Amino acid sequence: MINILYIMLFLWMLSGVLVLIEKKVLSMIIWFFIFSLVGAFAFFLLGSPDVAMAEAAIGAFSTIVFIVCFEKFFKLRDIIQIKAEEEEIKKENKIKRFIIPCIFVLILGSMFIYFLPPETTNSYLKELYITRFMSDIGGENAVTSIYLGYRLYDTLFEALMLVIAVVAITHMSYTDKIQIKEGERSEIEKSNIANLLLRALAPMAILFGIYVIANGFLTAGGGFQGGLAIASFFICRFLIYDVYDLDMKKINKLEELVFILIVVVAAVTVFQGTLYLFPEQYTAMTRNIYLIFMNALVGLKVACGFIILFYRYVAIERN
Amino acid sequence: MTIGFGIVELVSIIMFFFSYYAIIVSRNMIKSIIFMSIMEVSVVMFWLSIGFNGNIVPPILQSMEGHSIENIGDPLTQGLMITAIVIGLSVTAVNTIMFLTLYRKYKTTDWDIVKKRQMAG
Repeated sequence: MINILYIMLFLWMLSGVLVLIEKKVLSMIIWFFIFSLVGAFAFFLLGSPDVAMAEAAIGAFSTIVFIVCFEKFFKLRDIIQIKAEEEEIKKENKIKRFIIPCIFVLILGSMFIYFLPPETTNSYLKELYITRFMSDIGGENAVTSIYLGYRLYDTLFEALMLVIAVVAITHMSYTDKIQIKEGERSEIEKSNIANLLLRALAPMAILFGIYVIANGFLTAGGGFQGGLAIASFFICRFLIYDVYDLDMKKINKLEELVFILIVVVAAVTVFQGTLYLFPEQYTAMTRNIYLIFMNALVGLKVACGFIILFYRYVAIERN
Repeated sequence: MTIGFGIVELVSIIMFFFSYYAIIVSRNMIKSIIFMSIMEVSVVMFWLSIGFNGNIVPPILQSMEGHSIENIGDPLTQGLMITAIVIGLSVTAVNTIMFLTLYRKYKTTDWDIVKKRQMAG
């Protein structure tokens, strides 16, 4: 087990270094995808399947985002620009360019390692959470109980960050046209095998998303991971049919409504002290219903946010 | 180990500072954006590997029955890391959109040429 972890860590570092060495944009993105997947496997070996699921989904999603965004830079090499400017920049001092940052980063890293606290950590909070989460919050997965119970405010601010990212992207994108013209297709050639595979796998993705959300309080999984799986269904749908017919305004409205609902439910739960101040009033059934409901809300919100992000990128790239 | 931390933590620290160096040195904006993501993954790896002793089970009831408290993963860290990963993707998305806007204006993917053209006005 530990040997597999070391092999994974070696591959992880290797793919990270290869991103820096690589010159072509597409190869860089593929190495980044391998980096994310190996990282997810290492997270699983470190004893956290929830984070591993989230990381695998996020790695795939950001690879898709990169490929959609950087499609027109695939043919360019790292440095192919106007020659005169190029020559002038090349004359710059190598020491100033590579050696001084290297020394700076080395000093910073060694200071970080030197000031790292010793191994004796205080595990008081961990013991408290692990021994009490089932009677305080409910469910059988400690991670879900923490981000929907003890640390609900963190989840709230995470949802707020996602809303802000969507708003920022909608405002900073330089085009007003969201709609794509009819008959405008991607320049990447379509592969029949990939199309068939996507058709077979897309319904599985939405089923898997619902399963992960509904079982998030019992086993590994939860709102974020399930929401990402549901969003991947809509990405597959776009890749298969190449149509742009979802109404983004309605999805945006839905996302805002779900966010308000999350805030209201969370505020009621926290200020009433519903869950852990009066534990005897609430049965296991009520607790489980609360956890499933919150997971479903978070999943819906994340799915809406990522659908909007993806379709917005496609619109920008095509215009 | 006498240094106070294990090999996984060391690797993640090295990856973090390596990606920091890569962000400083690389002239390609796409590379900088990808290395921001790599930095975030290594931060997550660092937090998850604290207290790793070679045999850690997930903090789920089915798998943690019969294990002592040292061999169970820290649920607080894992819950916060899920949040951090989703926020990291939002940061990546905003980065990419800023890159596209910059490319629209200056027609290049090179930091230095962008700086030159900004100076020229």
